[in-house]
Amino acid sequence: MKKLLAVLKREYLQTVRKKMFIVMTFLMPVLMGAVLVLPSLIMARGMGEKKIAVVDGTGKLREAFTKAPVATEGKPEPSTRPGRRRLPENMRVEYVDAAGKDADEAAKPFLTRMSGAKETRIDGVFVVPADAITNTDATLRYYSRAAADFMSQERLSSIANGAVQRDRLAARGLSSDDVDKVLRTLSVDAVQLSKSGEEKKGGIANFFVGFMMTGLLIVPSFMYGLEIMRGIIQEKTDRVVEVLVSSMSTQQLLIGKILGVALVGLTQIGVWFIMFGAVGAFGLATAAMAGENVLQLLRPSTFVYFFIFFVLAYLTYVCIYAIGGAVSNSEKEAQQLIAPITMIMMLPWFLLVAIITNPDSTLSVAFSLSPVFGPMTMYVRILVAEPPMWHIVLTILISIATIAVFFWATAKIFRVGILSYGKRPTIPELWRWIKVA
Amino acid sequence: MSHILAVRNVVKTFGSVRAVDGVSFNVREGTITGLLGRNGAGKTTTIRMITGIFMPDSGSIEWLGASTAAEFRDRIGYLPEERGLYRQMKIVELLLFLAEIKGKRPADVRPAIDRWLERFELTDKRNAKIEELSKGNQQKVQLIGTLLHDPDLIILDEPQSGLDPVNMVLVRNLLRDLKNEGKTILLSTHMMGEAERMADDIVLIHRGSVVLEGNINEVRGSFGKNTLHVEYDGDGAFLSELPNVKRASIVNNAAELSLLDGSDPQKILEAAMGRLRIRKFELAMPSLEEIFIEKVGTETLTEVVR
Repeated sequence: MKKLLAVLKREYLQTVRKKMFIVMTFLMPVLMGAVLVLPSLIMARGMGEKKIAVVDGTGKLREAFTKAPVATEGKPEPSTRPGRRRLPENMRVEYVDAAGKDADEAAKPFLTRMSGAKETRIDGVFVVPADAITNTDATLRYYSRAAADFMSQERLSSIANGAVQRDRLAARGLSSDDVDKVLRTLSVDAVQLSKSGEEKKGGIANFFVGFMMTGLLIVPSFMYGLEIMRGIIQEKTDRVVEVLVSSMSTQQLLIGKILGVALVGLTQIGVWFIMFGAVGAFGLATAAMAGENVLQLLRPSTFVYFFIFFVLAYLTYVCIYAIGGAVSNSEKEAQQLIAPITMIMMLPWFLLVAIITNPDSTLSVAFSLSPVFGPMTMYVRILVAEPPMWHIVLTILISIATIAVFFWATAKIFRVGILSYGKRPTIPELWRWIKVA
Repeated sequence: MSHILAVRNVVKTFGSVRAVDGVSFNVREGTITGLLGRNGAGKTTTIRMITGIFMPDSGSIEWLGASTAAEFRDRIGYLPEERGLYRQMKIVELLLFLAEIKGKRPADVRPAIDRWLERFELTDKRNAKIEELSKGNQQKVQLIGTLLHDPDLIILDEPQSGLDPVNMVLVRNLLRDLKNEGKTILLSTHMMGEAERMADDIVLIHRGSVVLEGNINEVRGSFGKNTLHVEYDGDGAFLSELPNVKRASIVNNAAELSLLDGSDPQKILEAAMGRLRIRKFELAMPSLEEIFIEKVGTETLTEVVR
């Protein structure tokens, strides 16, 4: 036990002092944050400011297109989602009243400006024909410099259509108050109904939180699995291993190493949670303002399960990496061996969208109850749904059994592998190692 | 004197290769035992079975004064042939770790670390990382790591390979001191001269089997005084052609001649005196090298020479 602790202590201290640990500890949250925030930032802001000329043949859409831009985010007006019929913040519209003129003709100078001098250049021209209100078959036209600027097109089209519908209704004698009421859209509240009948608000934020927590769950396993593999190869190439195994059993050595690096992973996650706690308080407040109830995902049980499934996933993956290290002679050789295996182990991650959106599907259940994939998949299911308790218990039991078998096999392969230099063993040879050692 | 270690008929097979094929020998307490043999003879495999790295396929390792294999392990200090240290660690950190995995408490070995670093002139480098040290200094650190936990049985596998002459003398003196302190040493080497200087007992292994075992003087004595050391002026090449000379090794103006049993050295002297000016003529016990070649055959000698 003393020896195991000595190995554990050495492994922990040496890893924590490495640059990689420090860099990952601080970089990872930033990367995670970027993954979460960037898409919405890009959606909100597009790719910078857009200058659009709106050539209005009807001459009646000035109000719709020159209203002050409204932020896409922020407090929703009662019973309407903001934004769809307003200009986005980053769009600058040059409104051209072409009433009584040929709209296409009026648009021409603007079309030349699309490729003109930089100061006066515009990004798009939106043409509303003169008969847009009276002719139900009229076509709006959007000239754009970008081939697939569908986001601006969507927005301009919905603003124009909104205004045209108003005018059509007004022409049929509705008061502007009534027009407002007719055109008001209804919003959807996503509600998740749990087994206990408790109602919870769902939403897009749940999806992102699911992604993030799952990432946190598995990234350290792969990162430190790789670290263990490297360490074992290092010990082989530095020839330290002979002194180690002449002083203790290979089981002591292996368990000491794995637990030492597991502690490193837990330390890192601890730091991350503290950092997220600080940043998250702010994030949660914002999310709550947007009507997203993220807190219901981050219940205390979420963290208890996180701990359980982190440890299970970690121990499973790390054994595989330890074997990879024990049977390889160089890092390069080990990488080649382990890369395809990693791909297979990551399968639930590639299927994460399917699992998050359908946590009770046959696919999700099958993955969550299978060895190796179980801990990660089950954690996702717990996060976004309420799997039956016996599923959870079964996953934990299967994982523990898997880890026991892996540990047993790893220790045996490790024993033979760490002292054999030269050719990498074939699968039958590996099997013999397991039987012999 | 009692045995601290008895190796009983151990066998180890790797695939189709019998690396060790029924090796038996004893190591007496307080002595230096030389484990001799060519590279690949099975020395390292035998040692790895003694240190518990390999389990023998059959046979057993017995030891004195420890009730379990694990306890015995802690009383061994083992310097493997393949040297290696954690390159990223500092000297003191590493030495503390090595003592800990031998079951020592860090606080208990700190004074010993200071003493050893002083003795090997490494005190000023105590906080240097291993990778910053010269190769010779790395070897010294590894040697300290082997001895730090005050082992009763010290197993050294080719301790002098790769050492410069100064460090070689340092190791030689160290082994003498350890022996005087009552430690038992098992010294594996292929350098016969070293073994002759240091060892009390020898175990000669060839192709996985013991071909010769016993007290070094008795072993040499049993081969009789049938070796002539001759030093001379002139061309002594003809000496190897003389009748009754079984084997000759001639270097510069000195010859070591092994004679056939029952031959008269006087005849050789007469023949030599006719053609050379003799400076030294000595009838002696054969050197370990002679015995080694005698035992493992000349077919091996030609391999060695090549």
